[in-house]
Amino acid sequence: MSRIGVFVCHCGENISRTVDVERVARAAEKISGVAYACDYKYMCSDPGQNLLKKAVSEHNLDGIVVAACSPRMHEKTFRKAADAAGLNPYLVEMANIREHCSWVHEDKEEATAKATEIVTMLVERVKMNRKLQPITVPVTKRALIIGGGIAGIQAALDIADCGHQVVLVERDPSIGGHMAQLSETFPTLDCSQCIMTPKMVDAANHPNITLHTYSEVENVEGYIGNFQVTIRKKARSVDMDKCTGCGVCMAKCPQKKIPNAFDKNLGMRSAIYVPFPQAVPNTPVIDRENCTWFKSGKCGVCQKVCGPGAVDFTQEDQLIVESIGAIVVATGFELYSINEKPKGSAIKGYGEFGHGKIPDVIDGMTFERLASASGPTGGKIVRPSDGKEPKQIVFVQCVGSRAREKGISYCSKICCMYTAKHTMLYHHKVHDGQAYVFFMDARTPGKGYDEFWRRSIEEEQAVYIRGAVSRLYEKGDKIVVMGSDISLGIQVEIEADMVVLATAVQPRTGAELLAQKLGISYDGYNFYSEAHAKLRPVECATAGVYLAGACQGPKDIPDTVSQASAAAAKVMTLFSKDKLEREPIVAKVREAGCVACFYCKKVCPYGAVEEKEIRDRQGNLIKVVAYVNPGVCGGCGTCQATCPSKSVELDGYTDEQIIAQIEAL
Amino acid sequence: MTMIDTTSYTLISEAIKTEAKRILTDGTVTAVVGYAAARRKGSVQPIVITTPEDADKLLFSKGAVNNLAVYLTKAKKEIPKTGRIGIVVKGCDLKALVGLMGESQLKRENLYLIGIPCSGVLGSIIQPDTELTEDTIAPKCLECDVHMPTGCDFIPQGAPITPELEKKYAAEIARLEALTPAERWSYWKEQFSKCIKCYACRQVCPFCFCEQCLCDRNKPQMVESTPRPAGNFAWHVIRAMHLAGRCAGCAECERVCPMDIPLNLLNRKMAKELKELYDHEAGLEINEKGPLSMFNEKDDQSFIK
Repeated sequence: MSRIGVFVCHCGENISRTVDVERVARAAEKISGVAYACDYKYMCSDPGQNLLKKAVSEHNLDGIVVAACSPRMHEKTFRKAADAAGLNPYLVEMANIREHCSWVHEDKEEATAKATEIVTMLVERVKMNRKLQPITVPVTKRALIIGGGIAGIQAALDIADCGHQVVLVERDPSIGGHMAQLSETFPTLDCSQCIMTPKMVDAANHPNITLHTYSEVENVEGYIGNFQVTIRKKARSVDMDKCTGCGVCMAKCPQKKIPNAFDKNLGMRSAIYVPFPQAVPNTPVIDRENCTWFKSGKCGVCQKVCGPGAVDFTQEDQLIVESIGAIVVATGFELYSINEKPKGSAIKGYGEFGHGKIPDVIDGMTFERLASASGPTGGKIVRPSDGKEPKQIVFVQCVGSRAREKGISYCSKICCMYTAKHTMLYHHKVHDGQAYVFFMDARTPGKGYDEFWRRSIEEEQAVYIRGAVSRLYEKGDKIVVMGSDISLGIQVEIEADMVVLATAVQPRTGAELLAQKLGISYDGYNFYSEAHAKLRPVECATAGVYLAGACQGPKDIPDTVSQASAAAAKVMTLFSKDKLEREPIVAKVREAGCVACFYCKKVCPYGAVEEKEIRDRQGNLIKVVAYVNPGVCGGCGTCQATCPSKSVELDGYTDEQIIAQIEAL
Repeated sequence: MTMIDTTSYTLISEAIKTEAKRILTDGTVTAVVGYAAARRKGSVQPIVITTPEDADKLLFSKGAVNNLAVYLTKAKKEIPKTGRIGIVVKGCDLKALVGLMGESQLKRENLYLIGIPCSGVLGSIIQPDTELTEDTIAPKCLECDVHMPTGCDFIPQGAPITPELEKKYAAEIARLEALTPAERWSYWKEQFSKCIKCYACRQVCPFCFCEQCLCDRNKPQMVESTPRPAGNFAWHVIRAMHLAGRCAGCAECERVCPMDIPLNLLNRKMAKELKELYDHEAGLEINEKGPLSMFNEKDDQSFIK
């Protein structure tokens, strides 16, 4: 006969408002196998936990049901309490009478009856729970950072400074990301390059950091502490060990008219190139699509002029495998191309703004390149169409963002601030110019942010017009901006020389493909999902994978750096132990029933199922069966649902337990 | 009444004998699973031969209804352990073998496939000496798209003769689909109420290869084991679901059912669903993952409401 204790929580009023908790406790007492039942206002509080601990010894309990909130919330809390009282923690189960009952019902009578039934079901389940011991797995103290922007660099430096090995993978030929493209940064107007490039150099020179630029993550296998990551090092066509970065190849390359994506296609580059002069590493790559040698087999000038003989046309993509213990994803964002309607997406595009058709309608990042001292114009703000200085400039906020009808409902968070910055940069460079900003409302909650925005209006003469823009069209060499001013209730028309659109921040194209490789979840926009919006904001639900920066959602630089350091701290916490304890709720194969169809192996999202040979004493093969590696198993139960002969079961969720629960109803 | 010409089967039988003798003599295979004459005139039974002398027993005729795939996984489990095995397969049987390869039960390199250019076999072998006509032919042969199996190691000369005949399963599925759910429910209820739980359908099916069927388990009991309506229904629904996306329609279950339950009709309906939902057809290629063990974002999700 079991001796189960049932502890019913009021959750303040969260549960007791709709569920008669006392009656639930009294009813629980009468369930066969229940030795003790009580209710308390906050079971998770210190006195509540003590109540549980005391009851374990006083009533000699061999199982516990806590009727309270979701197991996601407090299962760990009560398992720890039971452990402290000397009861195996896996004999504790949560009966969720909050999310599953009190929060979703109104009728007290019915809710109380349902809560009692939920408790009854869990009592039946706990009766069949087994004592489990935590599983320990070794930890490889080596971190992988995906993305070499400010988030990736910060996380890499923090982890490397702590003495651990870091592998930093960047898709582009240089690290630096978006921050390297910016001119100045808000709210201090210090030069972005001046604060970014030293960090890039630090990352490249750090003895604990292995840098893989022009590389991508090809495949990820394994689990927390023990990932095997395959990295594709794309063919650079330049030997990194030989190249001295002298730049002669770029100077002599006859293909010089290739739009440079780093400069938002405003500047030109050669076919053998570094994206910007301060690139790290300062080793060029050959853009094989535009290189004459690769197109026609002629030319080869770069190879001829290269003193150390670093140019190698025969280089091929290289696959390397790294053993990794933790992964930080820092793949960042890209700006919404508003003239495009991405295939299969709810996003509708803004054809009426003429972006992509009218040359002087640009996005925020293009403006950054124009304003940047290292940009294609050397920091002169001019129109891309004719090179003239714009005397009237219009900034449009919330293009794409906060526009449910256009497919994006979120706020891109950084645009209010960077537009305020743009008006200042413009005012500093074009003294006789006038900047207008169409905005919904200014969102400036950050240290020094509101002061910065006010400064753009009060000291830098930006005119803010509260209202939306309906259309942009060309009239002569001007762009007519048709909008509304809702403060005055009138229609406004401004003849502008240039229009800058604050287009929405979106995840990288293909973000979902990387997520699928990593086995992490993502939202409807393809931003990566954190494990808990408030309490676990940098961890993924997949153990051992952490998030930093705008790949999780729009973020400014201070937030990105904070999150990167937070992710680094999580990685260092993991690396502080030699062995890692894992939940022992894992699947086990009943070998007698297994017929080796390996459907379990096919559906396992963790890659935990292996093939195992059963041999007799003479070594003759009896049969092949599935084997679940407990160190890898995530305890999702997909194999259990798939197995046609019901030969694999999750501890704590066996078929017997589930059926006992159903039959208790 | 359309007659179906099966004279080519005599030559095919000769070719099988010669090939079986050859592969047993030169040691390509250790055994050949095929068909041999049975006691009654025209009837045929499965046979496993291991010596070249026995090859003369092999033949192929309109009575060769059995799906021999089952002899590689269940009925004679010890055979594949002896080495590479030769097996005589019709196109429909080959689909089952392909499915079994995808489920790690068989390996292609361990098989020597003798494919049959098949014009069709009898629906019932109660009177094995009847002519093959549009009435006596097995309904599955009317919908067959693999009269000429592909990817085999040896195929005897011969072109299958396949007159265009009415597709009985398709017609019956269309009839059932036109019914209301309540009418369909009562149709299947009536069909399943006939079941005596002899499990012949399970026994003959090459895909029911579990050593312990979940329907036989008693701790916990998943399905009521006595032939009562609720348990009957559960058994047939589980069977249909477990075969969805795997069954390629050899129709052996339907042939062996002593109570004439239209089991392959249910299987064909499931196959049709799989084709419409996921563009999947069982047995055409060795699939690592069937559509039901895989999630794709493009999968139809209209059933979630």
